[in-house]
Amino acid sequence: MKLTQLTSLIFGLGAGLAACGDNGDNSADAPPPTPDATPTFATIDCTKVTTAHCQQIASGDAAALQLAANSISDDTTIILDAGVYKMTNSLTLRNDGVHLIGQGLEQTTIDFGDATAQGNGVDVIGDGFLVQDLTVRDSKKDGIRVEDSVGVVFRRIRATWTTAGSTSNGAYGIYPVKSSNVLVENSRAENASDAGLYVGQCQHVIVRNNVVTGNVAGLEIENTQYADVYGNTAENNTGGIVVFDLPGNLVVGRDIRVHDNMIRNNNHVNFGTPGTTVASIPVGTGTFAMASRRVEITNNTYLNNDTVDIAVISGLAIEPTLASWAIETSKIIGNLDGLNLQPADLTHVMNFRGENIVIAGNTHTGSGTKPDFNDPLHLGLLLRAGSTPAPVDSVVYDAIEEDFDSTNPLLNSNKHHICVAGNTGGTFGSLDLIEQSQTNQVPFFRPAAPFTPYDCTELIGGPVAEVVLP
Amino acid sequence: MRCLSPALIVAALMSSAACGGNDGTPDSPPIMPDADLGGPVVVDVTASQPPLMLSSYRLFRWDPDVGFAFNDRVVPYDLNTALFSDYALKQRAIYVPPGTSATYDANESFELPVGSVLVKNFYFPLDFRSPDKFPKLIETRLMVRYPDGWHPLPYTWDAFQKDAVFNPSGEVRPISFIDAAGAMQTSTYLIPQRNQCEACHVKQTNTSQMTMTLVGVKARHLNRIYDYGGSTGKKNQLDHLTELGMLSGAPASAQITPAYDFRPIEANGVAALPPAEIETAARAYLDINCAHCHNPLAIQGDTTQLFLNHDNTDPGHLGVCKRPGSAGMGTGGFTFDIVPGNPEMSILYFRAHTTMVGSMMPLLGRSLRHERGGELLHAWIAGMPANPCATQ
Repeated sequence: MKLTQLTSLIFGLGAGLAACGDNGDNSADAPPPTPDATPTFATIDCTKVTTAHCQQIASGDAAALQLAANSISDDTTIILDAGVYKMTNSLTLRNDGVHLIGQGLEQTTIDFGDATAQGNGVDVIGDGFLVQDLTVRDSKKDGIRVEDSVGVVFRRIRATWTTAGSTSNGAYGIYPVKSSNVLVENSRAENASDAGLYVGQCQHVIVRNNVVTGNVAGLEIENTQYADVYGNTAENNTGGIVVFDLPGNLVVGRDIRVHDNMIRNNNHVNFGTPGTTVASIPVGTGTFAMASRRVEITNNTYLNNDTVDIAVISGLAIEPTLASWAIETSKIIGNLDGLNLQPADLTHVMNFRGENIVIAGNTHTGSGTKPDFNDPLHLGLLLRAGSTPAPVDSVVYDAIEEDFDSTNPLLNSNKHHICVAGNTGGTFGSLDLIEQSQTNQVPFFRPAAPFTPYDCTELIGGPVAEVVLP
Repeated sequence: MRCLSPALIVAALMSSAACGGNDGTPDSPPIMPDADLGGPVVVDVTASQPPLMLSSYRLFRWDPDVGFAFNDRVVPYDLNTALFSDYALKQRAIYVPPGTSATYDANESFELPVGSVLVKNFYFPLDFRSPDKFPKLIETRLMVRYPDGWHPLPYTWDAFQKDAVFNPSGEVRPISFIDAAGAMQTSTYLIPQRNQCEACHVKQTNTSQMTMTLVGVKARHLNRIYDYGGSTGKKNQLDHLTELGMLSGAPASAQITPAYDFRPIEANGVAALPPAEIETAARAYLDINCAHCHNPLAIQGDTTQLFLNHDNTDPGHLGVCKRPGSAGMGTGGFTFDIVPGNPEMSILYFRAHTTMVGSMMPLLGRSLRHERGGELLHAWIAGMPANPCATQ
């Protein structure tokens, strides 16, 4: 029996059963299955919360939800019954200690598809925020944006847009920014026109056991310090898991661990808005680390990413103007100890370098076979042209600011301490990006393991510590 | 109770080209001769909940046929360049409790004593070519100074225009009108939910502390002539508040540099303006329309590092050849916030001008294009010495 018939058997009325029995072949005309409104796990109500106050919102009562959001005091749980809450405006939360809890991501949906006002879906500023067990759908801008907050939990939630691959989808699905002590777990981010799960300008972050799919960038760690990213699946995005700093930002990214993730089939057409950083990501990118330092990419499974599994890139590849990378030292947020950033002048430093990176223990299968040749910066084309014989190497390094020679290891420098020795499950190639982008004539340097001079195994300053949240 | 004689919009519009003009933005709306509000203003900063009805404060009376009438110590005022809110007309007023006064500040918002109220009425006429006819008051936003700081309290007017009810949830409402050029426009007008007030009215005192703040009550915005009607007539707003004892510490208004007066641009466009004046006008426009978020002490300004406050002197933070942070579809496909000499390639102009939901700036309160504002920003960027920014 076909699945649709099975569904109508379970959910259909008697008439539906009869129709099914009469004509088993017209299942294509059958109505879509009715979602099961019954939660698959214990429901939550106001007797089971940990906050001082609680309000329970009846199924679909968007007005009551909006009123609660704008009337509650600190330390309040808002419980959403199963159902769809169709909002006309952002849901804005500004109290501390707010918990927003549904009955499950298949059961409770906050829907912004009919919103006429511009804005994010759920827009939060407040310490001790928790969102759990619900879906946020079709936001005009970001799905769930939590800004400038300490202690943030996203748990078993989904941020999604109904139309896959649409540039008019909102930019970011799950979006903690400029926050600290952030946990994102067991959640889904789908179809965002920028990054599905985006952690920006944060400190002390755990991102684990999430699924990101159908986004331009699946999971993005940007200008962030101390992040543990593990157990996630990044699939069918343009780029899977990316780590980078943008120029001019006051949080200098550092101490990022990306380990034990599944990063596969990230070959989605790039539908990012031209001009955004992610619009430059070549289709088929597993991971890149750009303008990042103290990064470990270990024990991940890379599979069938058509352009490249891992790329280590200098920020100068996207922003060649040095002055754009100068940030005023006295204004920098967070910990710079041991980073040894390049001075721009007496009062400014620059963070364009990708440096002090360990890549080890990853498995690489089937990737680099069909590099993108339409990405705006032509990075895919460079990889294709330089990788003879194909495929593109598992790990590619742009060697900007390094001494480069296509064949002699002694003429290649590793000033930036890029360590690949432990990544024997894959191959390595470096390219002279500046030269390549002008002539396309210089072959890659493709040493065998242990990839001398990139044969170091440990970060300067010791390994990245596990993030422990309070 | 102070009695004010009528000051009709028509008179204000006809008075002088420099002060008003046929721009649909009157200097002073009609003021009722005798406001009998039943007693002095009532502000209870100890109550746990704000009053349900706006009339409980006894701040002013609204009659669509006559206009606004203000209670004693409730003084109407206007700004040199104002935030654009889908062409909504705004009637502002300030109340300071008896025996107290606001404290002047040369650059920042004035400090107001506990119990003070700022009133901002938003209303639309049917036809902006005769803005005094059939005005409809949509909402009244109060900022009330409690002991712990400013509380934003939004009230929405009823269909009969009799009173306004406390409405923390806000509303999105289509509002149609005929604009100053005679064209039909429909705004997707946002009555903000209470939490959205913070989008414009919060600033950081340090990295961990946020506080509600005022936007318009600053010397440069208030330094202008207002027609109070009656025996008071036309007076400088700052001088008048000082004379009433409601403002202390202010120098004579002649010593204060006013923000640019946008009214002539609204009426006539920017074609006749000399370049230096375009720069001044554009910075004043950005200051009041954008800098409530885009300043170093605001959350989004800090996040984006785009600072549009009038006293920012750093071109990079002003957006010149600056790449946006996480702008998403807000870029419009462009790479830099401002490409000098090329407004059509500048994200700042695109976002201020577009009506695409998801890309528009400001984030809240605009669904229509502000033609004259866009024209000004276009002229400002076009007039900068050309620089393509991109080096790749």
